[in-house]
Amino acid sequence: MGSSATGPPRLREPSLPAALLVGLTAVLVVLLPLAKMVRTAYTEGSGGFGAVLTRPGLGEAVGNSLLLSLAVTALAVPIGAALALTLRRPDLPGRTLLRVGVLLPVVVPDFVLAYSWLRAYGRAGFTDDLFGVGWEGISGPVGVTAVVAVNAVPVAYIVAAVGLAARAEPALERAARAAGAGALTVVRTVTLPLMRPALATAAMLVFVLTLGTFAIPLVLGSPAGFATVTTRIYANLARSSDPAAFVEAILLALLLVVVAVAVVAPADLLLGSRLRVTRTSTTDPGPTRSGSNRSGWWVTAAVTGYLLMAVVVPLVALMTTALTTAVGLPPVPENWTLRHFDAVLTVRNSEALSRSLMLAVAAASLLLLLGGCVAALERSRFGRATGTLVTLTFVLPGSTLAVGLLLTYGQWLGDTLLIILLAYLAKLWAFAHRPVSGALDRLPPDEFAAARVSGASVLDAIRTVVLRPLAPALLAAWLVCFLTALHEVTMSSLLYGPGNETLAVVVLNSAELGQVGQTAALSVLLTLMLLVPAGLCWWGIRRLEVRRTSGSSFEVIDVR
Amino acid sequence: MKGRRHLVGIGAVLVLAAACGDSEEAAGDTSSITLYTCVNDTTIAPVIKTFEKANQDTSVKLFRAPTGDLNARIAGDVRSGGLRADLIWACDPLTMQDYVKQDLVGGWTPKTSISSKYRTDDYVGVALLYMVAVSGKGVPPPKSWSDLAGSAYDGGVAVPDPGVAASALGALGYFANNGDYGTGFYAALRKNGAEQVATPDDVVTGVAEGTYDAGITIANSAYAAKENGSPIEVTWPDPGAVAIYGPVALAKDTKNTEAAKSFITYVASRKGQEQIGKSGSYPTLDGMASPPKPADAPVVFPDWPELSADKDALLAKYQKIFGG
Repeated sequence: MGSSATGPPRLREPSLPAALLVGLTAVLVVLLPLAKMVRTAYTEGSGGFGAVLTRPGLGEAVGNSLLLSLAVTALAVPIGAALALTLRRPDLPGRTLLRVGVLLPVVVPDFVLAYSWLRAYGRAGFTDDLFGVGWEGISGPVGVTAVVAVNAVPVAYIVAAVGLAARAEPALERAARAAGAGALTVVRTVTLPLMRPALATAAMLVFVLTLGTFAIPLVLGSPAGFATVTTRIYANLARSSDPAAFVEAILLALLLVVVAVAVVAPADLLLGSRLRVTRTSTTDPGPTRSGSNRSGWWVTAAVTGYLLMAVVVPLVALMTTALTTAVGLPPVPENWTLRHFDAVLTVRNSEALSRSLMLAVAAASLLLLLGGCVAALERSRFGRATGTLVTLTFVLPGSTLAVGLLLTYGQWLGDTLLIILLAYLAKLWAFAHRPVSGALDRLPPDEFAAARVSGASVLDAIRTVVLRPLAPALLAAWLVCFLTALHEVTMSSLLYGPGNETLAVVVLNSAELGQVGQTAALSVLLTLMLLVPAGLCWWGIRRLEVRRTSGSSFEVIDVR
Repeated sequence: MKGRRHLVGIGAVLVLAAACGDSEEAAGDTSSITLYTCVNDTTIAPVIKTFEKANQDTSVKLFRAPTGDLNARIAGDVRSGGLRADLIWACDPLTMQDYVKQDLVGGWTPKTSISSKYRTDDYVGVALLYMVAVSGKGVPPPKSWSDLAGSAYDGGVAVPDPGVAASALGALGYFANNGDYGTGFYAALRKNGAEQVATPDDVVTGVAEGTYDAGITIANSAYAAKENGSPIEVTWPDPGAVAIYGPVALAKDTKNTEAAKSFITYVASRKGQEQIGKSGSYPTLDGMASPPKPADAPVVFPDWPELSADKDALLAKYQKIFGG
């Protein structure tokens, strides 16, 4: 199961245990639940696939889901790539802040992002109140596409940035510049071709992420009658006191899996080998200034504008909702209150929060290990197959995945936090695996062997040669998994047990009875709270980077 | 080797997580019952508290989720070792009827003075939801439901999704079977610019924020927002607010029959009903204190058995009008 003939023997030693670990976990969290769902659909679906597939409106929903995924991919990947390219310029004014800002949408739960856009730009929203400019189309396909894209940009950005750091050849870029090529020509002819595999990975991840996205289409799409496969699954699942509706929900979820396989498997097959190139260790100072400082300011202004529109204004709108006594009152000082924050800060809620924190830390840490293992195994066919496999549960909407796990493990693990942990592993494995995979080939292949030959233990060799250069990618993957697991609502609200409330339960409790102020307050607190560990991680990455640039032979790592 | 250490580490984490999960529910003594409900937290928490106070030897473990999530959870339970609740408190009779059909609950009800229109042999209705109209600033409150399809509300009426909210399904069932309305009422609403949102709470939020002129929603949600100062009006239009009762039923496979029965008996009793009224919900027993309800407010009732029979066809008709 080790490295195949195509690559040097860099990670051969730990690969057998890694393969065992990956294989076992994949069976537990991906294959068994999927098999159980197929069996349930098969044994209970007497009407069969046919009846479900010919249900009126299904074709439209599938079409909507596919179009949405295509549109979001077409928007988010170029934006993510452009951000990765511009933000690596060391001389960019305000670069540090911008890099944190780009990741903000990951910190905000997606349903909160959707709601805050509605508050910011919808009828009687923020811009409507202030400037009389309300965007009716926010509820509808265009609004859904915009917000899902904003939500997906950080993912595309991370993958692109990791790929860029791993693959860009600053020496080549400088050579092209010296030979008289303009900055854009260099990007077009040198940088972009080198980034192509990373962009393909980003596109695949965003496409599948969008196929499975649910909260944003529910909040912004449903009012305009814009249905996707995920909102149909939700409607069916919600009526699952009727067995026929339940089976239909499972069948639709499996349909999503089939669509995801149809997209991901060929892509993985085609790209699998091309994604892996080797690179030699070089002493390279990294990208240098690529234009005048005036153009730097323009770039900063453009990125800032995007962040303001996409994230900051909606979050300000959310903040005013959290601070205003009641829904619908103008957000002026006499209507301000801290009541909602007060109502949210209870002992019961903080217990739930600490459970969620524990779950998120455990999930993110395990996912990093699992994602790293799959990435390390990717030279072998087994590894690549697993890479595709873990994408299957990534595409399942949270609610269906939760039901799949209930069907499989409810009898033994029902009501425990462990079943929620399994759900997180299943849902987020691809999230952890793909960025690490994209960064892995930055490892100069001979260094691991060299370290071993020079007498370093496996552990030491991994610590000094493998982990160091991978640290930014690993931390980024950990952070994305941690944040997503922490504010995840759909799965844990189905899987929690009595006495085991998680943050999701708190969010749902406050969302009922129209306590929008409390929900907003909770989201604001969560966002602030998440910014702290995110900031710490970011600081950690920066320190690693500084240490490396000052003392080692690796290029400047450009990933946040 | 490194890998083996990882495995050991993972094992340790898994065992730890399992232990954390188990420790909380390992009690397993006969006087602990598990309640599945969709009743909102504001109501259910105090009701459980007062029950436990009066029955010191019984503790109630709660799984609370909106009806849709609750349904999904129960569907998962049923297919993996059976329902893990000793009793279910649903928010509408249709959902409960489905559970009776699957033989999950029913077969027993307590002695109570709650009106027979809220009772069957399998469950007893202990709380009520009223579908009322809510209207925003500068918009005249509707006198009758049909007003909502008129030009005064062409700026948008919010309708809760009957596929998601059982209360909305109850209203749909009532209007569809009322000769003066029918599903044509929904078509007229849609033509007038009405939009569908997910839950009745979203209706209240949308109207209060000015996104919609008016909407159809549940009374407790609307009054709670109004009480907090939201600029909305709540009306009980003619022919009446649509009443949906939330029934409670005993699980067929419960191992704690007596404790579960005592909880059901409590919520159907005068004391329990009083507590429900004090906690922000409408009790089914007459003459109890409750959230606001105008004197002589007109109330109408869907024909539940009939609705139960043609719910799917009705939902399909509705979805043709509103999409989604």
